[in-house]
Amino acid sequence: MTMPAQRGNPGLTTAGLSDHPAALALVGRHRVRIWEPLPWILALAFYFAFPNHLGFGTELLVTILFALSLDLALGYAGIVTLGHAAFFGAGAYTVGMLAHHGIWSEPISGLMLAAGVAALIGLVSGLILLRTTGLTLLMLTLCTMALLEEAANMGEKYTGGFDGLPNLPIPPLFGMFEFNPLYPRVQYLYVLGVLFVCFLFIRMLVYSPFGQSLTGIRENVLRMHAVGAPVNWRLVTCYTISAAIAGIAGGLWAQANAYVNLSTLGLDRAATVLIILVLGGYGRLYGAFVGAVVYMALSHFLAKVYPTAWQLGLGLLLMLIALFARNGVLGLWDQITTRFRFKSAAKRGPP
Amino acid sequence: MTETLLETRSLCKNFGALAAARDVNFRLEAGARHALIGPNGAGKTTFINLLTGVFLPTQGQVLLKGRDITTMEQSARVKLGIARTFQINRLFRGLSVLENVYIAVAERLGAGNQMMKPAGMRKDIVDEAMRLLDVLRLSNDAGHRISELPYGRQRLVELAIALGLEPEVLLLDEPAAGVPSAESHIILEAIAALPKHIGVLIIDHDMDLVFRFAQRITVLVGGAIFAEGTPKEIGADQRVRDVYLGQGHQAESHHG
Repeated sequence: MTMPAQRGNPGLTTAGLSDHPAALALVGRHRVRIWEPLPWILALAFYFAFPNHLGFGTELLVTILFALSLDLALGYAGIVTLGHAAFFGAGAYTVGMLAHHGIWSEPISGLMLAAGVAALIGLVSGLILLRTTGLTLLMLTLCTMALLEEAANMGEKYTGGFDGLPNLPIPPLFGMFEFNPLYPRVQYLYVLGVLFVCFLFIRMLVYSPFGQSLTGIRENVLRMHAVGAPVNWRLVTCYTISAAIAGIAGGLWAQANAYVNLSTLGLDRAATVLIILVLGGYGRLYGAFVGAVVYMALSHFLAKVYPTAWQLGLGLLLMLIALFARNGVLGLWDQITTRFRFKSAAKRGPP
Repeated sequence: MTETLLETRSLCKNFGALAAARDVNFRLEAGARHALIGPNGAGKTTFINLLTGVFLPTQGQVLLKGRDITTMEQSARVKLGIARTFQINRLFRGLSVLENVYIAVAERLGAGNQMMKPAGMRKDIVDEAMRLLDVLRLSNDAGHRISELPYGRQRLVELAIALGLEPEVLLLDEPAAGVPSAESHIILEAIAALPKHIGVLIIDHDMDLVFRFAQRITVLVGGAIFAEGTPKEIGADQRVRDVYLGQGHQAESHHG
């Protein structure tokens, strides 16, 4: 056994190394898998199958996007935050205030402004609070959100205070498609389109070397320092991008509902999206989809059956998930399929 | 005359009233195989942390090839060629062995900020990581998660990550610690096969390993350099034997 002596580790191009299963798995990791179009087909099917529930559907799609933004920060980079609604609310209020005061209301550029404002807040707050970890970080993210919420509450002249800003004048999409609050067909497809574009972007990020380095920070931050990674900058970058996407989700919410209020900024929303991600499974892209669908379908259903005690059912489910399926529904699915594969492999006997 | 890679001048580090490093003047030559030994609490790991920039010294200087890097950030020192392994494994436990080494190589090549390209499309990084694993005879474990590996193999991944950074100075903090004796030969062989031009500083309690590996030994006691010399000199030094090696230690037998 000899080691290469020069820098660059040249030579030793041992045949077969690039064909190693692990190398092939890494090389092909980002390829689109056969089931990946499924959520989008289902989303389109929902549009045709449930024309009377498109309001619910729109809310669901916005929630998925919000959960995806949190997954990037929490699931991939391991940034523990309880204040992600700060960015959702920042996006929603950007769209809402600009439209209400007649400054800017075109939907798509409005979303970009929402993303910009949320990103700026993410960048500034991230520079300060990402130096901390754990419980301190958790509290600081919570404080950031509380500050924004209180600012929105106090600045009544601009934000509408406690009542928010109703009846936002949102012009038609591309000047053609009217947002109708009673039949939110346009909203649904619009939100679906934006979700799709954002999803492709996030998917690209998490499979990139940048995304790989985020998982490194999550798994062992000390080692990440020791391999020479600018850990703090990378966390701030991730947090800013995550904030921008949360801002887009908030902007979409304001546009689709044509109003904005304090609920976009509250702990309730921040905790819900966290629960959704834990429920679906974090750090795996599709956990946001599964979690949002399960959570919203269950709360929708339970609220109808047990109007007074529906949160009890959700609480129980969450306890079960926390106890028995540490990585959410998708984590459970992984466990089951691995076990099944293991069993069928055992039946075939050793290779 | 060999080139001095890493040098400290009057390096001091106090933690409150505790002096963990006291006026340490140390040199690591290019291509050196240097060992740092000393009783528990002598400040060996603190010394490594001062060299790599985890701690800033209270006083004194750290120089790399004559350049003052005393206050330089950890990541910048890595870029200049200082890599380390940890006494206790610090790996990306939830990721595969290949991904662990990929991350290190990617950082060295400055690819860690790359967002627009899938990680797998950087074939150069994947291939180099695989080659490193092959050299350390880890390629069969490439697809396994760290948490699935026996401890001894995990120690090799520590080494693979450090080598992925192509260091000129390699600091090994007890590379064989916690490895069952049946597996320790893998580590020893890997260390023996390190590229010749790298300056290696190894910290260890295992006198077998130290006397087999080192051309030069520094003894640290109470944060200060107590003795320095060839293995023969250190093994024969009565003071060192009293302080550290202890009574009845068969030091001579190791360096023949």
